[in-house]
Amino acid sequence: MYGDSGIKLVQHAKRTQNLAHLPPYQTELVRAVTREVRDLNKDVDDLLEPFQGSFDPSEDQAVAYTLLVNHISMRRNKRCLLAYHRTRTDKLEELVWNGADVVDLSGQQVRDGSSRNSTGLTSGDGSTSSLSPQEEDYVRQYGDLLAAYKGQWTDIDLTGSLEPPRDLFIDVRVLKDAGEIQTEYGAITLTKNSQFYVRQGDVERLIAQGYLQKLS
Amino acid sequence: MDIDDILREVDPASHGIPLETRDLQALTRLWVAERSAPELLNWPADGLFERVNSKIKSQIEKIEDMTGDMDPKTNFALIVIQTELERYKFLVRSYLRARIAKIDKYTLHYLSTEELRQRLSPTELAYATRHQALLHNHYLSSFLSSFPQRLQNLNDTAGNVSMIDSPDLDTAVFIRLLRDKDVFGRGTDVDTILPAASGDILILRWSSAKDLVEHGDAELV
Repeated sequence: MYGDSGIKLVQHAKRTQNLAHLPPYQTELVRAVTREVRDLNKDVDDLLEPFQGSFDPSEDQAVAYTLLVNHISMRRNKRCLLAYHRTRTDKLEELVWNGADVVDLSGQQVRDGSSRNSTGLTSGDGSTSSLSPQEEDYVRQYGDLLAAYKGQWTDIDLTGSLEPPRDLFIDVRVLKDAGEIQTEYGAITLTKNSQFYVRQGDVERLIAQGYLQKLS
Repeated sequence: MDIDDILREVDPASHGIPLETRDLQALTRLWVAERSAPELLNWPADGLFERVNSKIKSQIEKIEDMTGDMDPKTNFALIVIQTELERYKFLVRSYLRARIAKIDKYTLHYLSTEELRQRLSPTELAYATRHQALLHNHYLSSFLSSFPQRLQNLNDTAGNVSMIDSPDLDTAVFIRLLRDKDVFGRGTDVDTILPAASGDILILRWSSAKDLVEHGDAELV
């Protein structure tokens, strides 16, 4: 049926919205929908061919309706594809804002891919990364764009926390060894399971990356 | 200079308030308004952010100067200044992020007309244009390029459905009246005109509230 693959894509997109990670790119489905559009377009051209550009809808209503349905199906498929890709790029942008880069993402995908396969979900074409090559390009370019925009606001870390700051200093617990950091009060060595009272601005990055946990 | 500026000059309340304080108030108001308005508001044109930026820079330098000093008294002052700085930076950050979120969501809408483009700052405009180009390229390389030529547009309006999403201007907002005014509100069944006094808080559609806010008769809360 027309549009069946389209609706599957939209369902995938809908599910992606509620997931913390990005499921694998549905290469096959995207290809199927694109193929459907091309076939429909070919049908339209074939139908119109005998009329040599002088088609009158009121004279030949059956053909006119077929054309209409074909056109609407094509448009619908296009919207499905756009929605699917936009949902994914939104997700990717969110990850970029949170400080991930392509290497992180693909690395994480490998792990995600294996765990998902064991839960019975199929992963696209079986590649290790759940990003399509185009998406990897996109992440890279968007990262550059974001860096450029951030560069205009050097003193304000735009990707910083959006929680209003309450205290200048906070208690943190170290979850993973993070080595030595430099603060204006001297160097601190962050070893696992130790606890510190530090300036929030100094460790914000490390909290976001999961090295430290903020204690309230 | 418009009438509001003249009024402010003769208004005794605003005398004696240093420019920095007024900038902070302006920033706070912008931030609150931007976060509650459903559409992107105008970028402040009076150089507010240049002043804010230089202020932040000078505070950072001050902190660096004071850090070397080990006197407990300056240490205390240092903490106060640092806390203030963090809050100031948060305001700017949150404000910019609220705008970027709106721009990202309705990029094509804000790029579509000159009037809407005026609302963006030059850097935001550059960002939005580039972002849209990236997205379009991504669509093209992912699937759009294998589409028939006439289906490759991203701004079709076929079947009376525009492909460009635009913000819902009928979303409800809360406003606080800054002067006495008869407020006209459009409703679903019936429109009303409500006499309201300065300080009253009303909830109404943004499309009705917009004029009031733009003329300074009310502010978003």
